[in-house]
Amino acid sequence: MLPPEVIYDAVIVSNLVALLSIGLTLTYMTLKVPNFAHGDLATIGAYVAITAYELAGANPYLMMPLAFLVPAAYSLATYLLVYKPLWRRGANVVTMMVASIALEVATRSGMHVYADVMREAYKTYFRGVMFDDVYLPLGGLRVPGVLLTSTLTAFAMTLALYLFLTRTKFGVAMRAAIENPSLASTLGIDVEKVYAFSWFLAGGLAGLAGVFMPFRVPTDPEVGWLMLLKVFAASILGGLESVFGAVLGGYIIGVTEVVGIYALSKPPISISTAYRPAIPFAILILTLLFCPKGITGVNWRSLLRRGEER
Amino acid sequence: MIVDPLRFLLDFLAFYSIYLMLSLSLNLEYGMTGISNFGKVMFFAAGAFVAGALVVRLVAPLAGLDPSLVYDLSKYKVYNVMLATEVSRFFASSPGVALATLILTLALGALFGAILGWLAAYPAAKLKEDYLGITLVVAGELFRIFGRNYEPLICGSLGVSVPDPFAWVPAPAHDLARTAFMLAVAACAWLIVDALDKSPFGRLARAIRDNDLAAEALGKDVAKVRLTVLMIGSAIAGVAGGLYAFYTGAVSADDFTPVRTFIVWVMVVMGGAGNNAGAALGALIYLGVDRVLTIVKHSIPAPFDVNYLSYIILGVLLVAMLMYRPQGLVPEKPRPLLVSRGAELEAARGGGEEVSKGARA
Repeated sequence: MLPPEVIYDAVIVSNLVALLSIGLTLTYMTLKVPNFAHGDLATIGAYVAITAYELAGANPYLMMPLAFLVPAAYSLATYLLVYKPLWRRGANVVTMMVASIALEVATRSGMHVYADVMREAYKTYFRGVMFDDVYLPLGGLRVPGVLLTSTLTAFAMTLALYLFLTRTKFGVAMRAAIENPSLASTLGIDVEKVYAFSWFLAGGLAGLAGVFMPFRVPTDPEVGWLMLLKVFAASILGGLESVFGAVLGGYIIGVTEVVGIYALSKPPISISTAYRPAIPFAILILTLLFCPKGITGVNWRSLLRRGEER
Repeated sequence: MIVDPLRFLLDFLAFYSIYLMLSLSLNLEYGMTGISNFGKVMFFAAGAFVAGALVVRLVAPLAGLDPSLVYDLSKYKVYNVMLATEVSRFFASSPGVALATLILTLALGALFGAILGWLAAYPAAKLKEDYLGITLVVAGELFRIFGRNYEPLICGSLGVSVPDPFAWVPAPAHDLARTAFMLAVAACAWLIVDALDKSPFGRLARAIRDNDLAAEALGKDVAKVRLTVLMIGSAIAGVAGGLYAFYTGAVSADDFTPVRTFIVWVMVVMGGAGNNAGAALGALIYLGVDRVLTIVKHSIPAPFDVNYLSYIILGVLLVAMLMYRPQGLVPEKPRPLLVSRGAELEAARGGGEEVSKGARA
């Protein structure tokens, strides 16, 4: 039987990966570029909360609106200033990827500089920061507050996105613009505005994920980048063409990683827990090699039918 | 701050030969063939890991080291710095063994790199550029995690020392000999890539880069060309990794993060993809900025690590380059692919001035 801490961690990690995968998938669907700087948007969100916490002792949850807006604005700016001009010029996908890697390195280094400058200026911690969490006594167990808040946020955001994409005019227009940009633009949908909104939203959701990170691990400017490849794994597993696939991929990756390394680090296998990141990486490579369209791309019905015939 | 100019130059050229090999190999893969290798660091690490894992263990019996220290992992972890020093001392007295070990290690690094390149060709044949890029980044990280945690390889997160194969060269000439050797290896890599570039194979690679479907339709074996290119490029990167291990005298897995791949891309994109002069210039510019910053960073009064500042500058510069000068500082020259006899005849008749000029160039 799994100890409760492992289950808590699996759920928290899954929530964070899912929040990040939604945004990564959204931006991938617009310009077909895997955004390597996506993890750093979460770092920015985390540092919005950390700054308020360290300087004013503010409750990190109260900073969520700002932790949404700042990385969202940054993400939008990168879209408007870099990706859109490149895309308009007809740059190929490798060029766009190199640009996103360049932005990743610059952003992460910028956060390092920010952390060091703030530490010097205010003589307080800006690396290895952890927030105090409240523990709720539920049925004899000590449930960390971040488990509930991150789960609520992930669910609320998924539900809001679902309602937005299916029930609002702009949301439907957004799906149309993403699915068939040329047809959508002949119908009067401003495709570039829709894309810009996708990048904004992706940055905001990543920022929200960032707020939860210091509740779980000591946070420094590498925190988002260290999540990124896991988020790629979840998004690709989810097929990179639907935000709900991304959520599903996020939960599969989060649970497999946490539960998997727990099981593998116990006898009889007893490997070091330092191999933990290898689990999502292995899933990613296997997915790409054997079902590159992700789990939602597999034709399960035909697979089942083939099973029946045998 | 005073820097000995000769030492600075030798150090600069040593690093330059390593980076030149990396940028040449990426130029071969991406610039000429269009393979988006975002896992360059993995092949570089392969060569370094070979040097780190093998040199002391191979030479130990010859140098008369206590086998219980070398082949018992728990002791090896503790004593490897001392053992590497012992092997260096042995190298000082037997230049033949030192050189043979150096060559053998570099060759094994090339072989290991080529094997990884062969493995990478499988996803390269199957996946789109973006998925391939992600796969190779992830494969590189997997390789690093493995190197850091699988202790028999390079003592896990502690890292290992690598003996100095030039220990037999007396002090004043030592650094000179080492740098000269590294430059010679880099020159060989240059000659190989340049020869490939100018051969029919190079033209085929460019054809695949520009339109792989057309090349396939003309009966060319696209997958085989990509495989060959990845194996050669990765072998070169493996040799570069071996040289890096010997030069720095130590191998540590956490030295091989994806940022290294990024740097190689900076060099190729900045210099100009698709031509070796561009790759060489890109490596020169990057290394110039990097070395100068390393020297002056102690005299810059900043409350943060200046390395981060250089990464910000590099990142912004690269984005600006992609936006405003995507062809790089030295653009690839278009060259006529075919100068048929008919065209030559036409040139003789005076109608094909352009073509004959192209043929001479």
